[in-house]
Amino acid sequence: MKTILTTPLNAWHASHGGQMVEFGGWDMPIQYAKGIVQEHLLTRKEAGLFDVSHMGRFVFRGDDTLAFLQHVLTNNAAALEPGESQYTLIPNEQGGAIDDAYLYRFGADEYLLVVNAANRDQDWRHLQARLTKFSMVEMIDQTDTLSMISLQGPMSKQIMLSLIESGQLPEPMRNRLGQVRINGTDVKIARTGYTGEPICFELFVDRDAVLDIWEAVIAQEAHPIGLGARDTLRLEAGLPLYGHELGQDPEGKEIPLFASSLARFAVSISDLKGDFIGRKALEKQFKAFKRIVDHDFSLIADLPRRIMAVALTEKGIARAGHPVFREGKLVGHMTSGTMVPCWEYEGAGIASQRTGAQGRRAIGLALLNSDLYEGDVLEVEIRGKRTRAVIVPYHLRSEAPPFARAIPWDRIQVEKAVAIDKQTFRKVETLLAKTIANTSWRQAACVNLIPSEQTPSSMTRLLSIMDPVGRYAEHKPVAAFSDADVFYYQGTEFIAEVETLLAAELVQFLGCVDVEARLVSGQMANMALFSALVDYINRSDRKSEQRRIRKVMNNHIIKGGHLSAQPMGALRDFVARDPQTEKPAVVNFPVLEHNPYKIDVDASQALVAEHRPELIILGKSMTIHTEPVAAMRRMVDAQGLDCVIMYDMAHVLGLVGPHFQEPFKEGADIVTGSTHKTYFGTQRGIIGSNYAETDPRHELWTAIQRRAFPGSVSNHHLGTLLGLLLAAYEMNHFKDTYQQNVLANAKAFARALSDCGMEVAGDPDNDYTETHQVILNVGYAKGPELAQRLEENNIIVNYQAAPQEEGFTASGSLRMGVQEMTRFGMGVRDFQALAQLVCDVVKKNQSVKDQVVAFRQKFLEMQYCFKEQQFEEHMQKLHRFLR
Amino acid sequence: MKEISELKFPEELRYAEDHEWAKAQGDTVVIGISDYAQDQLGDVVFVELPQVGDTFAQGDEFGTVESVKAVSELYMPVGGEIVAVNTALEDAPELVNNEPYTGGWMVEVKVQNAGELDALMTRDAYLTLLKG
Repeated sequence: MKTILTTPLNAWHASHGGQMVEFGGWDMPIQYAKGIVQEHLLTRKEAGLFDVSHMGRFVFRGDDTLAFLQHVLTNNAAALEPGESQYTLIPNEQGGAIDDAYLYRFGADEYLLVVNAANRDQDWRHLQARLTKFSMVEMIDQTDTLSMISLQGPMSKQIMLSLIESGQLPEPMRNRLGQVRINGTDVKIARTGYTGEPICFELFVDRDAVLDIWEAVIAQEAHPIGLGARDTLRLEAGLPLYGHELGQDPEGKEIPLFASSLARFAVSISDLKGDFIGRKALEKQFKAFKRIVDHDFSLIADLPRRIMAVALTEKGIARAGHPVFREGKLVGHMTSGTMVPCWEYEGAGIASQRTGAQGRRAIGLALLNSDLYEGDVLEVEIRGKRTRAVIVPYHLRSEAPPFARAIPWDRIQVEKAVAIDKQTFRKVETLLAKTIANTSWRQAACVNLIPSEQTPSSMTRLLSIMDPVGRYAEHKPVAAFSDADVFYYQGTEFIAEVETLLAAELVQFLGCVDVEARLVSGQMANMALFSALVDYINRSDRKSEQRRIRKVMNNHIIKGGHLSAQPMGALRDFVARDPQTEKPAVVNFPVLEHNPYKIDVDASQALVAEHRPELIILGKSMTIHTEPVAAMRRMVDAQGLDCVIMYDMAHVLGLVGPHFQEPFKEGADIVTGSTHKTYFGTQRGIIGSNYAETDPRHELWTAIQRRAFPGSVSNHHLGTLLGLLLAAYEMNHFKDTYQQNVLANAKAFARALSDCGMEVAGDPDNDYTETHQVILNVGYAKGPELAQRLEENNIIVNYQAAPQEEGFTASGSLRMGVQEMTRFGMGVRDFQALAQLVCDVVKKNQSVKDQVVAFRQKFLEMQYCFKEQQFEEHMQKLHRFLR
Repeated sequence: MKEISELKFPEELRYAEDHEWAKAQGDTVVIGISDYAQDQLGDVVFVELPQVGDTFAQGDEFGTVESVKAVSELYMPVGGEIVAVNTALEDAPELVNNEPYTGGWMVEVKVQNAGELDALMTRDAYLTLLKG
């Protein structure tokens, strides 16, 4: 007789209301006293704790381990660095699943594979049989000695933080690993889970210590959750379960791995995987999948059905095995389904709030013909009765941490309600009135602290709408005319002169050789630069496929890096894929442990040597320090790297100079930036280059010009180009006092906020900031709400996720900049007074709107600019053009 | 799940082997499921009931009650014509768990044969059955 297995927490479950059932050979709680529905809801609202010690845990060690894992698993194990994990599958030769699994690499020398409880014996035998071909692999079953519990839900991070004695949580990204001490015990932690919760941890701990840790977590008010809610949570999240969405289908046929979108992402056909089990079958499925995505069903026999999310639109509950019809024809079967509870939300967008009301919805997953798509209407046969249903893209979304939100089938997209006035005259009137209201509010009643914004001077604004505004002035240097710029349009003499003068002013400001000023935004400047670099590195071969930038080193987005230097942003189409990780070939600067806003220069040295980047991108959007340009230059030169050092100065362009940083003097090759943050200008972008004509790299500069025009712009917004020239005159004339005052004000503001008892990011020894920015930490996920509350009090800031936070909706920081209000005349004392108002709103929840409006009245006249009175005759003529 | 002693079985009701209860109310009989049945099911999330006017014999399936995990059929403890159904269960199926004998009632039946009701188990007989 087979004995039933128990986890070390078995007695705890039984004595705490657990309803014990047999599951996969184990005696496990299906639910506790609160029941499945409440356990599901409590996990989504607070935190749920799951005993998952019944799952199989196999450890692999030895020199052939990686080769073995590459052979028996579908994902690319070589992509895992120590401290990372991945979803993977144990495939059979037919391209189906023997099991699904999670592979963890806590340390360099060991891999941990977690498999389903019910498949553990079969997995063990299968893997052991394959092991014979690999001599240097030790495989150990640690299911009994290493226990595993799972903490999931929005409160789980606070719970973990309250328990950790030493060590750090893994970085706030899915699949990251770490190790901490709790109750004197070593606990391995993974940011993984099976609930769809964005805040999720799985804990691995010695069998003898797991009860202690479990009770410590429960004492922090986590709710124990049974297998019943574990199933409804995973179903709502659309996660496959072996025996339902993987393995055999309700007709007894093998389910191809590519039928499940999650499993598909866990299949790699990288060369690094060699001839792994099932490779040929999976390649066929992949080919069929690509065709199906294009609505081409010529290979549908290789992937006849796919797992899709299905929601009932009539009363009833669809369950696993129920047949599914479309227009009377059998198109597949439900693989999972039940009634799942959810929290109701009200309000729109990021301000939407849980009401406290509970709803329920009948949802499921189904294996359906591959020629069906989202939105297709179905009928599920429930005990002989056909019930209407619809294919939906998802049941739940997790991208707005700390909460996972249910998305009912009728609320996948909310139509924007726009009331369109039928009367044209009234429409115009409304538009004008609202523009007046908005301009007077932002310009005269608000204190603007957005660090990426600036009000251009009135003369700059006026010039920006003068005649060139509607014109074209395409031009490029032509060698036949000794590189003279040739313009394609007539009437452009004036704007040609403006452009030359602007470049000269910017060259002087930046201290470099050349400036390209035709880009209309900072992001476009970066794209043009990346494109130029690709053009440049392929200059000796124009016939082959143009290769991308081999490796880029930048600041990670969660450590303040900007989108315009990320693969998800401007870098996407210009950076190569790393063949090992199968991700964009980007490596991030390490940061100091005590100050995540500062690059760890010493630790960077080894990374630069290891990765030999072709492009280093310094600069960020959450920036409170200078960037280590000189150190990077020394590193690149010492290692003899063929590498472009670029500093994206978007935020700090207006601070260039001896009071902040002089990038070209320190060794930067390229500076990009937007001209409207700390700089005085209209909204545009520039690229500065320091390659002299005699420099072999000068060809990169000519590529930059080509990728500006004709690469990026045809019409380069000539109005704001003219405005920018005046702003450049203003900057070069006033920069010395402006820059010193911005830096002094930022330090004073930061110090004053700290003196009010608020937490300011950065180093107190240098008054928290070396830039125009001040970062205020207001509490995990409180950023959006407090930014809104400040706006209601006429103080405009923006919320940002700090490096330890999981995403913008979990932001706990407010990012503020002093540059615009400095320009409106605020000094150190004024920022100290403003700090008190910010504190009154943030800490005391007081209403200070009237005080802010009165405060702003003192700062309406712009400084560090030319006055219209100085040029009265001309200004009057310019104003007259507008009538 | 609770111990039998923690569950309630009102004296005035009659009970069927499939765990339905029946209660005479004038010339009709109200039907639901017992505290034991709801406890076994766990959270009730959906109840499917017949139409008013439908007629069933004793022992016929007249609907289903579904928990998160399972579907259970409902059988008529007495035959007759449905004269009312508890529509409140559409939006609040949890009434079956919270108030199995009051708010969680399911159907009201005009009985054909009063003898069927008398033949159902008393509280004590039902308890004996449950305790096995």
